[in-house]
Amino acid sequence: MRSASISASHSPAAAPVGARRPKRRGLDLSRVRWWRVAVLGVLGIYFVVPLAATFWFTFYTPGTHQFSLSPYGQIFSAKGFGTSVLLTFKVAVLTIVILYALLIPAMIAVQLRLPKLKPLLESLAMVPLVLSPVALVVGVQTVLGWGTNGNPGTPLFQLAVDLQNGNFPLILPIIYVVIALPFAYRSLDAQLRSVDLKTLVEASRGLGASWPVTIWRAVLPNLRTGLLSGAILTLALVFGEYTISSILQFLPFSVWIVQDSQGATSGQLAPAVSLLSLLLSWAVLFLVSFLGGRRAAGSNRSS
Amino acid sequence: MISLVKKLGAWGAVLPLLGYCAIALGLPIWAILWDGLHLTNPQNTSETTGSLTLANLTTSWHGIYLKGLETSLRLSLFTAIISALVGLFAAYAIAQSKGRYFKQAVLTASGVLANFGGIPLAFCFIATIGTGGVFLSWIQSVWPSFALDTFSGVAVVYPYFLIPLMVLTTLPALDGLREQWKEASANLGGTSWQYWRHIGGPLLFPAALGGFVLCFGSSFAAYATAKALTDGTVPLVTTQIASILSGNVIAGENDLGMALAFNTVIVCGVMMAVYLPLRKRSAKWLES
Amino acid sequence: MHRITKLACAAAAVTLAASACSSNSSTTSSGSGSTNWATVTSASAGGGMTALIAAAKAEGSLNVIALPPTWANYGTLMAEFKAKYGITVNDANPNGSSGDEINAIEHDKGLATAPDVVDVGNSHALPNTNLFSDYEVSTWANIPAGLKDANGSWYGDYGGYISIGCVAAKVAPAPCPTTFAELLDSSYTADYKGKVSLDGDPTSANAAFSGVWAAALASGGSLSNIQPGISYFGKLKSNGEFNATGDTESTIEAGSTDITIDWEYLNSQYASDLKSKGITMSVAIPTDGLYSAYYDQAISKYAPHPAAARLWEEFLYSAEGQNGFMGGYARPVEFAAMQSAGTLDATDEKLLPTVSGSVSYPTESELTTAQNAVTSGWATALG
Repeated sequence: MRSASISASHSPAAAPVGARRPKRRGLDLSRVRWWRVAVLGVLGIYFVVPLAATFWFTFYTPGTHQFSLSPYGQIFSAKGFGTSVLLTFKVAVLTIVILYALLIPAMIAVQLRLPKLKPLLESLAMVPLVLSPVALVVGVQTVLGWGTNGNPGTPLFQLAVDLQNGNFPLILPIIYVVIALPFAYRSLDAQLRSVDLKTLVEASRGLGASWPVTIWRAVLPNLRTGLLSGAILTLALVFGEYTISSILQFLPFSVWIVQDSQGATSGQLAPAVSLLSLLLSWAVLFLVSFLGGRRAAGSNRSS
Repeated sequence: MISLVKKLGAWGAVLPLLGYCAIALGLPIWAILWDGLHLTNPQNTSETTGSLTLANLTTSWHGIYLKGLETSLRLSLFTAIISALVGLFAAYAIAQSKGRYFKQAVLTASGVLANFGGIPLAFCFIATIGTGGVFLSWIQSVWPSFALDTFSGVAVVYPYFLIPLMVLTTLPALDGLREQWKEASANLGGTSWQYWRHIGGPLLFPAALGGFVLCFGSSFAAYATAKALTDGTVPLVTTQIASILSGNVIAGENDLGMALAFNTVIVCGVMMAVYLPLRKRSAKWLES
Repeated sequence: MHRITKLACAAAAVTLAASACSSNSSTTSSGSGSTNWATVTSASAGGGMTALIAAAKAEGSLNVIALPPTWANYGTLMAEFKAKYGITVNDANPNGSSGDEINAIEHDKGLATAPDVVDVGNSHALPNTNLFSDYEVSTWANIPAGLKDANGSWYGDYGGYISIGCVAAKVAPAPCPTTFAELLDSSYTADYKGKVSLDGDPTSANAAFSGVWAAALASGGSLSNIQPGISYFGKLKSNGEFNATGDTESTIEAGSTDITIDWEYLNSQYASDLKSKGITMSVAIPTDGLYSAYYDQAISKYAPHPAAARLWEEFLYSAEGQNGFMGGYARPVEFAAMQSAGTLDATDEKLLPTVSGSVSYPTESELTTAQNAVTSGWATALG
């Protein structure tokens, strides 16, 4: 079904090998381009119009016929903006580091040596996805409670307390790794398939490279799109995550922004704030992807 | 046969991940299961608080909770299929384009939009096609019975974060489809259909299937958006869980909420049972 | 790849180091002197107001939870408390629910960020008295008997009636409804189409649940029978008048929810905010469906700052605190007593919509029955 819908955009005109080839490809491409533009155009409308309508709502007040960007200015000057963004960023970076440190060796090992474990890995990468975040956080609260409900002197108690330290709650990256696991796994998995891992590793090891060097220099550069999209998804996930951090009473960016817009006496502030946070997240992500993208031009030759 | 040392080494690479999941995922799920199987709020004197019981699980499989599970599944399946198809095609279109900045911009925008949801997303659509929305009349000229606060309304909103998710997870695979392969196939006299049937399709199918599964799971777990749009008139298991565990009306039924949450884990298991054999067959397709 | 990884490793190292080095005090701070304020049941028993203030100041901060600043004027109240006593008020999870508050008490024992006091609905206060510390404020006698726990475990603080808010310009030529019956009037159906809303999901939002109950009282139901309310909204839905989007200030301003069935203090707050946007909103308390509820204060048994918690209660129940609630359009629980004593703020009092008739409050079992009825019946009636 899928291939049918895609191939419908290609002209199935048969042609003898040789002479007519360029012309057919020319026809082919222009028809595909038309379809591409149409689909991307419709999608563009679908995604942009709601945002534009919301922006218009925050910008123009029909009752007083006033135009004003004031809801947006308030955010940057509000107390705690920088702290919350920094906290979220730190949590996100730690999440990505832990996630990849766990995933990459495991996925490579399973692909090369332990293919029977693939179903287990796939299932592990599915469970956090369907689990309701509300249930997960109450479960986490219960588990942490096993520590804090005990005697104040025990190391378990101290561990539970330290994990929830307001300055840097280690519990957040720990949970986020689990939640981001499905997304990072899929991104890596999609690309891992298209890379001939066996040959790569054998070649590299055959040339005398140790395992870490093999992974670092031979494997990872070939996974760059998957790694990047997984990192982007995780970063965006941490920036957008609200339920868990608010119930656990921490103050990352998403919670801070709601708290900040609470003191408002304006129905336009909350949507303005969410639009701004979207834009800010996108800016951060774009910058990060840029740093990764710059390397692509350089390392493409070495892969 | 791979040597024992090599196998041990491989296990050493996998164990950290498994151990981590056992603790960070396994412990909370254990806590959920424990709470679901024990009574926290006995309804009559024959039961005592904390006793082992199947009552919560059985309640969760009847009446409004069963309806919630069924509606959730229907909504997730429907939105996942649509978003997967559209997303796949969009990813293909994007992978084809030449502009590097364009690709980066779309990739990062997809990442942000895939996590956009809840009340802000609901409000964006309320402002657009809710009652009093600017474009409602346009939509109603082609779809007269459309209303945002119904099943269809929610189904229109969900792809907003599902399509970017699909794009983001299949773009790497589509990027991997080298243009040279298409040319090679054409050189050998193959049509586009044959290319997709024998080369592109088998390579793409696992990633696409994985993306679909991701969309389904994401759609299934979402609740804040539907809650803001429909006030609970479209029963979903996730909004029911939130109402019980984190609401302002129902108190003392955390055990039932946990039982509902455990049901979602069962759903995951069922999905895996369907997905894994499908994936095996797709691998065979590649080899054929 | 190198630059990114260097950055990442540096960031990870910094964060790990920071978390290792930062200390976190986890023991509950004990009051000064020999009084253990955690078990004190009244200010006089603890040595008087001066002793209480001194002990609270020594503790230095207060942890509250789930208090939106624009809800019943809590923002102003928290600021006034801080200005008066110099005690920092930490408001965690401001959009949280009563369920979150109870969860936090149960799971956060021993943490410095555990909540000291909670403000929950009856549904969550009545069954959880084992989590609260008994305490009777100095003005205890001013709280009506039906609105407080006999042992001092919980006590109503502010409340209001279910009201019908309406943007007159958008429902014209039909009038703004002042009774539930009017909403079903067939001559107005076309004008009200798609405009009537509740404050969320009745199985999850107290205001929506109460709205259904008020409709039940207007349609032949009672405190022991909420079913007519569910049928009422079913009828509204089939008429096309019910808009299942929950009303917020943003949706009213966007013109999506022009008729809002909500707490009077929320509707009045919206009306006052929207005036500056050129939107005139009226608030009426329906005469045929009179339903009112008070939220309850309670002190957590495991409060890390027990003296500050008690001082906060004393503040909320003083004339200053009660008038503060009224500034947010809510009815303070000591209204009757303050009216006789003449300590009500006259300007704020005039802002409250007029009410005719009396109400009674549901018992714990009536609450549970109604909740179960709504949980099983709502989606079926309106789906």
